[in-house]
Amino acid sequence: MSAGGDLIEKTAERHLREPWDELGLAGDRAFAYQRAGATFGIWIFIASEVLFFGALFLLYTAMRLEHAADFAIAARETNIVYGTLNTALLLTSGLCAAIASQASEQKGLQRLTLWCLGATVLLGLAFMAVKGVEYREDIEKHLLPGASFALKEPTTQLFFGFYWLATSIHAIHLSIGIALVVRLIWKEWREPGFLFESPQVEVAMLYWGFVDMIWIVLYPMLYLDGRAG
Amino acid sequence: MSERSRTSIGRIWRRGLIVWVLLLAFLALSLFAAYAAPASWAAPINFGIAATQAALVALLLMRLDRADALVRLAAACGLFWLAILFALTLTDTLSRLANS
Amino acid sequence: MSGASSDASTLANPRELDLGLPVSYLAEGRSVASWLFTTDHKRIAILYALSITFFFFIGGAAATLVRLELFTPEGNIVGADTYNKLFSLHGIVMVWFFLIPSIPTTMGNFLLPLMIGARDLAFPKLNLISWYLNMAGGLLTLAAVLAGGIDTGWTFYVPYSTVFSNTFVTLAVLGVFVSGFSTIATGVNFIATVHYLRAPGMTWFRLPLFVWAMYTTSLIFVLATPVLALTLVLVIAERTFNLPIFDPARGGDPILFQHLFWFYSHPAVYIMILPAMGVISEVITCYARRRIFGYSFMVYALVAIAVIGFFTWGHHMFTSGMSPFAALVFSFLSFIVAVPSAIKVFNWTATLYRGQIGFESPMLYALGFLGLFTMGGLTGLFLASVPIDVHVQDTYFVVAHFHYIMVGASVSAYFAGLHFWWPKVTGRMYPESWARFAALLMFFGFNLTFFPQFIAGYLGMPRRYYTYPPEFQVWNVLSSSGAAVLAVAYLMPLGYLTWSLFFGGRALNDPWNATGLEWRTTSPPPRQNFFGNPQVLAPPYDYHPEATPPGDEPRIAEKGALT
Repeated sequence: MSAGGDLIEKTAERHLREPWDELGLAGDRAFAYQRAGATFGIWIFIASEVLFFGALFLLYTAMRLEHAADFAIAARETNIVYGTLNTALLLTSGLCAAIASQASEQKGLQRLTLWCLGATVLLGLAFMAVKGVEYREDIEKHLLPGASFALKEPTTQLFFGFYWLATSIHAIHLSIGIALVVRLIWKEWREPGFLFESPQVEVAMLYWGFVDMIWIVLYPMLYLDGRAG
Repeated sequence: MSERSRTSIGRIWRRGLIVWVLLLAFLALSLFAAYAAPASWAAPINFGIAATQAALVALLLMRLDRADALVRLAAACGLFWLAILFALTLTDTLSRLANS
Repeated sequence: MSGASSDASTLANPRELDLGLPVSYLAEGRSVASWLFTTDHKRIAILYALSITFFFFIGGAAATLVRLELFTPEGNIVGADTYNKLFSLHGIVMVWFFLIPSIPTTMGNFLLPLMIGARDLAFPKLNLISWYLNMAGGLLTLAAVLAGGIDTGWTFYVPYSTVFSNTFVTLAVLGVFVSGFSTIATGVNFIATVHYLRAPGMTWFRLPLFVWAMYTTSLIFVLATPVLALTLVLVIAERTFNLPIFDPARGGDPILFQHLFWFYSHPAVYIMILPAMGVISEVITCYARRRIFGYSFMVYALVAIAVIGFFTWGHHMFTSGMSPFAALVFSFLSFIVAVPSAIKVFNWTATLYRGQIGFESPMLYALGFLGLFTMGGLTGLFLASVPIDVHVQDTYFVVAHFHYIMVGASVSAYFAGLHFWWPKVTGRMYPESWARFAALLMFFGFNLTFFPQFIAGYLGMPRRYYTYPPEFQVWNVLSSSGAAVLAVAYLMPLGYLTWSLFFGGRALNDPWNATGLEWRTTSPPPRQNFFGNPQVLAPPYDYHPEATPPGDEPRIAEKGALT
């Protein structure tokens, strides 16, 4: 691969930003420090996002406690094939993201990094496509809360209120993730070698992993309830 | 150098694929449990599996297992504050339900 | 100085010049673009200062109209709808676009890197983005006001806000939502900065208490704001997309909204008060020439308030229909948070003991803070106990209580900090006698405005009505007269501080002989903050130690250098 000696020489300086470049540390130590800072920063943001989605999950928990029977009836109406397929797609994209993140830290693995980023984006887009098909089917089945709602139990609408809300908030997060990864690929295309040791790869991939985790929790909420019996 | 990169490729892939297979196996298990387990058991099993999967992703894909103590502290804080939110809100919701 | 020019490139005192120092951050680029695209934390602090001043006067104008209307029992000036929109505007703008960003984004942005010996915040671009998000949020909310206003009150309670209100709720809520990202970004930035960019020797227990206050505030920023963000998304979803969420007519649980809302909004009070406590710790030590009494307990108290503050939100909901069991739990937890607050008040008082107290204007504001915070805190204990709370819920007693904390304490501290660090930020001195007069006027105006409200509220005057029974008029006349005094007191600093920018004397690097790294650089500091790499050799507040009497030592001590 193209990871020649001069590229490695340049790396630390290339990614070093203010104010980390003025700490009086040697170039590579300053860069390791900046990298640790960026990782810590995104993890604080993830902790913050845990509370954001946590509030959403609390809404589900409280509503399900209050209306358990209706929630089971409503959850039976979601399409488990699409849901399970999407879960598998996202889990696989999470694998690619993790491999891209680790490969970007190693010499000579730029091509692997790039391929894994590409696969991550494609799997993310596939998830969105499946979600779109599923949304269309949901609308055809009158599962949008409102006057013409398909189910007669009144609080089944609460479940579908949550369904539409949670899936669209997740989709917005996933779209941001896709945009972040596309930006990384674009940067690499503009400036080959960019991905190598870039803290931005790890930051974007940690965000991707978090969006994955949210879907993992949403899956049993939206698809698995009320299937037994 | 190519020797080293090849071994590191192998290590990265092996580790990742093991986690991936585990995750998909858990997905299949939860799908099975949703249909086969008794209704009262399905929810705890499924959310237990989801928690396990999320933990796998956090530890092995997002590499919390080798992260700085500080990073782990940040993640733990997120969970701790989430516990506050859930515990105190459900104190109200559950005691209201119990009395109604 | 006779130099009436606004040329900021020549620094400080002539004695201190001729050192070949770099130009100050103010002189580095004079174009508008050099401000709007800056990543310098000091310039971003100035941008924030301008925007929150703008929002402060908008919120203040609404409050003025509210107090004007309440001068008489009848509705003479505005009708019920307009009145509702006015107090909602006042609350929303003051809480989210003035109080929450006030001290952290201005003084915090400016001073946090300086106090820990860093060159900038950890993520300078993110810092700039956070200002733009804050502006975007503010402008969206103002757009809601221009479009016709919002009448839900600052709490956006459902189902009124989602089902019944015919005003521009969505736009205003969207504005608050966007500004939430701004505070989260600031919080992430501050936490990472304190962890990663402290100068050599600046250990955790050598941090100035202001830095600790910023750190604990940032924890709340990061961990509470997302819950508000989601809650506001739920309001928008129910109102705009007609999804059933909280509407009890469709099976929803409106009390759940209150839980989610207050999970953020109670800690938000600590977002307002913790930074104020940080400022007060800096000011009191400097003007009493004393080390802070019980430094480590001051730190533990800050952390305790930030954490315990998350356990108490239910005391806003005692009459909401929440279960009595939960009310009991929340009442107990609310009493606990009084303990660290009391520790802080005692330690400030003990810091004053045997100090060489100077009554310069920042100290006057700080002493005002002590009194007003104590009043607000003690009445908070009344409200934490369920029986009294049920009696005074939704009365002016509550209004008076939270204004003592949020305006009396927080805004006093804001002005204390503004005067204390003004020479450092601008390189200019303000007229001290005007400043002292404004500080005293603000204290008296504030008490005249809000103390009568305790009495009116205890006697049963409800909040949020534009008319009231005539027997309450005497308290309202007192209150409205106080508001006029307070308005003058708030306008005065705007006048003389602006004047000082152009005609004030040049400031020394350390005009108050304070300790702390921010005084170890020029006034105003250069872009890089320091010359060389600062090293910290001693704990903060290196004034007289606690046990020794100050004796005849000069007030302007020679020692005090940290570097």
